[in-house]
Amino acid sequence: MTSMEARHLDDTFAALADPTRRAILDQLSRGEATVNELAEPFQMSLPAVSRHLKVLERAGLVTRHRRAQFRPCRLEAAPLAEAVGWLERYRRIWEASFDRLDDYLKTMQRENDDDDTP
Amino acid sequence: MTTRHEVARAEGRDLRLSRWFDAPRELVFRAWTEPEHMAQWWGPHDFTTPVCELDPRPGGVLLLHMQAPGGAIMPNEGEFHEVDPPALLTFTLRAFPDERGEARLHVLVTAAFAEARGGTELTLKVDVLRAVDMEGPLSGMEQGWSQSLEKLRDLLAAPRGRA
Repeated sequence: MTSMEARHLDDTFAALADPTRRAILDQLSRGEATVNELAEPFQMSLPAVSRHLKVLERAGLVTRHRRAQFRPCRLEAAPLAEAVGWLERYRRIWEASFDRLDDYLKTMQRENDDDDTP
Repeated sequence: MTTRHEVARAEGRDLRLSRWFDAPRELVFRAWTEPEHMAQWWGPHDFTTPVCELDPRPGGVLLLHMQAPGGAIMPNEGEFHEVDPPALLTFTLRAFPDERGEARLHVLVTAAFAEARGGTELTLKVDVLRAVDMEGPLSGMEQGWSQSLEKLRDLLAAPRGRA
C-alpha cells in the first residue's frame, strides 16, 4: 500500500469513526438529502452537521451538487468499497458457499434417509 | 495444458471462517471431497459448477469450473495436500487467470471438521499466497446493486440517539 493510499484509508476510517457521521451515511444510502434534511433527526445545528459533512466530503464518501437553489448531498460508495477491499468480498463468496452447503446437507440427509427405508 | 505458476512470497493475509452444520462430519467431509456433491454447493448463489473433478489424496487434483449466471466460466484448479477423513482437508487453489494464463489468486485452504453439539463445526482458514489485481475480478461476482447497498447499510448500522 502506498502512503497516499494509507492516508486515504485513514480519512475513510476517521470519517466512519463517529456515530453521527455513520447515521448520515446510512440516511444517504436511502437517497440524496439536503443539509436541513440531514440535520432534522439529530436536532443538531446546521453548522454542526456541516462540519460532519466536511469530514465525509474529505474522505470522498459524500459529494454535493446543485439542484435549483438546493445543494443536496449524495453518497459515494466507492471509497467505502475500497476500505472493505477485495479480501472481504472474497470472504463473502466463501460465506455464500457455506449457505449453500448448509442447504445441500439437508438434501444429502434426506436422500440418505430415503436410502435407509426398507 | 499446465501453466507454470510462480507462488510469490506469502502475502501474509488470511481469512478465517467458522460455521456449524446440522450434519455428521462424515457427511460434511463427503460434501467437500465427492465431486457430484461439491458441484451442488460450491460458489456464490446462482452459480453452477459444470466441471468438478476431485481426487482427494495427497497430490491429487482439484478442478472446479464455476459458471456465473451470465455464462462466464471461472476456473479454479489445484491440489490436495492433507486428506484426513473426516477431520482435516487442506488444498491449494488457483483462480482468475490473467492474459498469460497465470492465476492472479493462489490460496491454501485448511478445513477442519469437528464434532460439536450434535453436528459439525467447520473451521476454515484461507491463506492468501498470491493476490494480484484482485479488485476487478471479484466485483463481477457480486450480485446486484441492491444487495451491495444492503451490505453497506449493515456495515453502517450503529446505535444512535434519534429523537
